[in-house]
Amino acid sequence: MTSTATSEAMSTATKAAVIDLLYRLADDSLIIGHRNSEWTGLGPILEEDIAFSSMAQDKMGHALALYGLLHQLGEEPPDRLAFARGPRDYRCCDLVAMEFLSGAATDGPLCNNPVRDELVSRGDWAGSLVRQFLFSEADAVRMAALETSAYEPMAQLARKLRGELKYHTLHGRLLIERLGKATEDSRSRLNGVIERVWPQALGMFEPTKHGQTLASAGICPTEEALCDRWLGEVEPIIERSGLSRPKHAKPAYGGRAGNHPPELALLLDDMQRVYRLDPTAQW
Amino acid sequence: MHDTQWPIFEVFHQASRGEPHVHVGSIHAPDGATALMLAKEQFGRRQACVNMWVVPVEAIIATDYADADLFAHGTDKSYREAFGYETTKRAKLVGDAEEI
Repeated sequence: MTSTATSEAMSTATKAAVIDLLYRLADDSLIIGHRNSEWTGLGPILEEDIAFSSMAQDKMGHALALYGLLHQLGEEPPDRLAFARGPRDYRCCDLVAMEFLSGAATDGPLCNNPVRDELVSRGDWAGSLVRQFLFSEADAVRMAALETSAYEPMAQLARKLRGELKYHTLHGRLLIERLGKATEDSRSRLNGVIERVWPQALGMFEPTKHGQTLASAGICPTEEALCDRWLGEVEPIIERSGLSRPKHAKPAYGGRAGNHPPELALLLDDMQRVYRLDPTAQW
Repeated sequence: MHDTQWPIFEVFHQASRGEPHVHVGSIHAPDGATALMLAKEQFGRRQACVNMWVVPVEAIIATDYADADLFAHGTDKSYREAFGYETTKRAKLVGDAEEI
């Protein structure tokens, strides 16, 4: 990976592949950031509430930076990419849109909400935690590979995000290991979620038609290669935490091509509601 | 009332290498590693930090506020303060020069 691809030097096919990659990364970041932020004020303990919310903000920051790279390549400005696109245009994987706090995307303020406890009881913190763990491990593996990407703006950004992603994986590993070994209740909750989300977790690595172009240009390894590296990271952690994962799950694909479960449309309705009141408003 | 929360850890934060670690607050956590993980976001996310300590609160041995008079200065003991030495003067000059 020695060549430096700039937007001027890239062929049309390479540029289209880079744009597709950036949409996948940015949309994953924005959607998991939004999902995790729904727990703000409702987290299991104060300190974890703050840590989880802070990581959600990190992911929003990553999304903004990635949408910024897209804008440099001629796509619309970040706010329009986040708030003016419908679900068909989103390229996130299914894992990030899964809803573990049902009712969070309904009307009514959550802060100081007298039914807070009821909201929390309907939510599944284990689901969000396991999702965050599995996602951050994939995020770290992918960004580590992208640090040497031939697409230099991506490589620079990947190096900048290293520290934050190090924290995200530290957080996930620590809690998964402790909760996996804590009680029968915590262990069975984690195992239940791992079983349930494993197809979507594998779906993070859905192959795209641009995969070979990206790999041969030295811009990003194939999804298959990244999935192998990710398994190499998460399997030992799952094992030493006394947990298990399904061995023959069928990956949930579709998100990278814009085919999402209805959860994403509901999330976007909620997230984009204020922007859509007046898309020309200056903030 | 019995405290059912996790143990308390006091958090110390170092802004740059060589600087003293400064007490910034405390958090609840089940163990030291978790305390560090949680303290990073409570206290490290908005200010420069290169190193963080967490200390179990029971490891701190403190005086009693009733004994605050231990620290009172009853009479003039300015003779005990280190001034009048050549090195003190030089240090002061260097310090002044650096401030300018």
